[in-house]
Amino acid sequence: MEKRTFLTKKRKSMNNLKKHPSSFRDPSGFVFEYEGKLYRQVNKHYADDYDLLLSSGLYDELLKGGKLIAHQALQQNLTGSNDWYVTLLPEQIQFISYPYEWCFDQLKDAALLTLDILQISLKHGMVLKDATPFNVQFVNGKPIFIDTLSFEKYNDAEPWVAYRQFIECFIVPLVLSSYKSTDFIRQLQLNPDGLPTSFAAKLLPFKSRFRLSLFLHIFLPSNISTRKKNASSARHTSFSKQKMLNIVDDLQSLIRTLKPRRLYSVWNNYYEETILSNDYLQAKSILVTKWLNELQGNIAIDIGTNTGAFAVDASRRYKNVIAVDTDELCIDELYKKCKTGRRENILPLWVDITNPTPAIGWANVERAGFISRLNADLVMALAVIHHLVIGSNIRMKQVVDIFKHITNLLLIEFVPEEDPKVAEMLERRADIFDEYNQQHFETSFSEEFNILKKEVIKSSSRVIYLMQKK
Amino acid sequence: MLNNLLYIDPGSGSYLVQVIAAAVLGVAFYFKTFVAWVKSFFGGKKNVSDKEEKINE
Repeated sequence: MEKRTFLTKKRKSMNNLKKHPSSFRDPSGFVFEYEGKLYRQVNKHYADDYDLLLSSGLYDELLKGGKLIAHQALQQNLTGSNDWYVTLLPEQIQFISYPYEWCFDQLKDAALLTLDILQISLKHGMVLKDATPFNVQFVNGKPIFIDTLSFEKYNDAEPWVAYRQFIECFIVPLVLSSYKSTDFIRQLQLNPDGLPTSFAAKLLPFKSRFRLSLFLHIFLPSNISTRKKNASSARHTSFSKQKMLNIVDDLQSLIRTLKPRRLYSVWNNYYEETILSNDYLQAKSILVTKWLNELQGNIAIDIGTNTGAFAVDASRRYKNVIAVDTDELCIDELYKKCKTGRRENILPLWVDITNPTPAIGWANVERAGFISRLNADLVMALAVIHHLVIGSNIRMKQVVDIFKHITNLLLIEFVPEEDPKVAEMLERRADIFDEYNQQHFETSFSEEFNILKKEVIKSSSRVIYLMQKK
Repeated sequence: MLNNLLYIDPGSGSYLVQVIAAAVLGVAFYFKTFVAWVKSFFGGKKNVSDKEEKINE
């Protein structure tokens, strides 16, 4: 009888419990969702290392510096697993982003954070056993390490076990972004486990071999990995903490000197070079601020944020603002602006809304797509509609459908056909003219949304709408 | 031990790389300290860290 109650209990709890699809590679534990919250189970296998993380003072030091996500330890076996040691309830992250959605400086800061954590860990007799950018998230404008189970006891006779992973996941994309183009950040979407050093060695200019750090961390490994037979003798050579610190130090100074190289940027001088008048921008800003003042909520997303002027307005009323743009330079500028300008609740991401990040990884569920991660209270799409409908040939109805799917409230600007910018775009696109007019815009959106407010922006023919999903 | 094997390549190439890199960096470090020592011996007060940053760039 007793056994049966236990079984029903267990089944009941397992029903509300969903193992996170990205958490299976590490035998130390796993992440699961339970009653709307994410938990992390620590397995018995990892018990000693977990205890050491706390008893060595490493956890406290990392927490104090805001470098590691805080958690609450629960003595409650929610999964009913035999392997259970402790359950952690980490501080919940509002929006998970992936490295291939970051700008250069976000990836750079995530790399420096990882090395910083490694240095602190060594001080406490522990080491990072993995070093992937997927272990870093951006919270309050700063990178933070989220994998509490990445630490293990340090053995100073061994080199860094995650060295190769660090090189392939951070150094190679950063170096290629610096020598070739920041487009290589996106390569992490195709190679989420890292870009091989041999790949970088073939693409980098000849002169880069003469830079000591690049020679040691890219050209040397690429050469050795093709001649694996010679490598086994290295296992017998002992290592030391000082040697490891020298390597970390060299990696840090390499990363700090890297500067992004961009082959093109379309949008970064938008506000300076725009044909739009200052009066229009000012009137729009006043109007948007006025409307935003009556709203508030948890998550707002600003589509086509440019350098984030309106995302900043939204960040005063919404706890989290996700600001996306197709231009990496804009996102990088916004990231740096938010970092120094106390706009910590804005998360700038390099995402193209016409081609949002797909779901990737094992079974196509390991890393979720951008749209499926979104659940916004407000979507702002200011001066975007003409790029979608005319620039990318997306039908008005499709635009309505996607907004309906991701938000409750919509702040959207319609740029009419007589607007100089749209007229320019429409010049060679007579075919699309029937679809693109204010009447069609309003009827399409009215099918799914109630128009709450509507106002023409002064000194322009553009109109702003506030709509609520039906 | 299982988790240790996950991220290391089977030929332990990254072990060898780190052994070599550490040796080279060790020598480079002594060389830098030596240069800094020579400079401070002859040149008086030169800011060593500024110089080092310039070299890295």
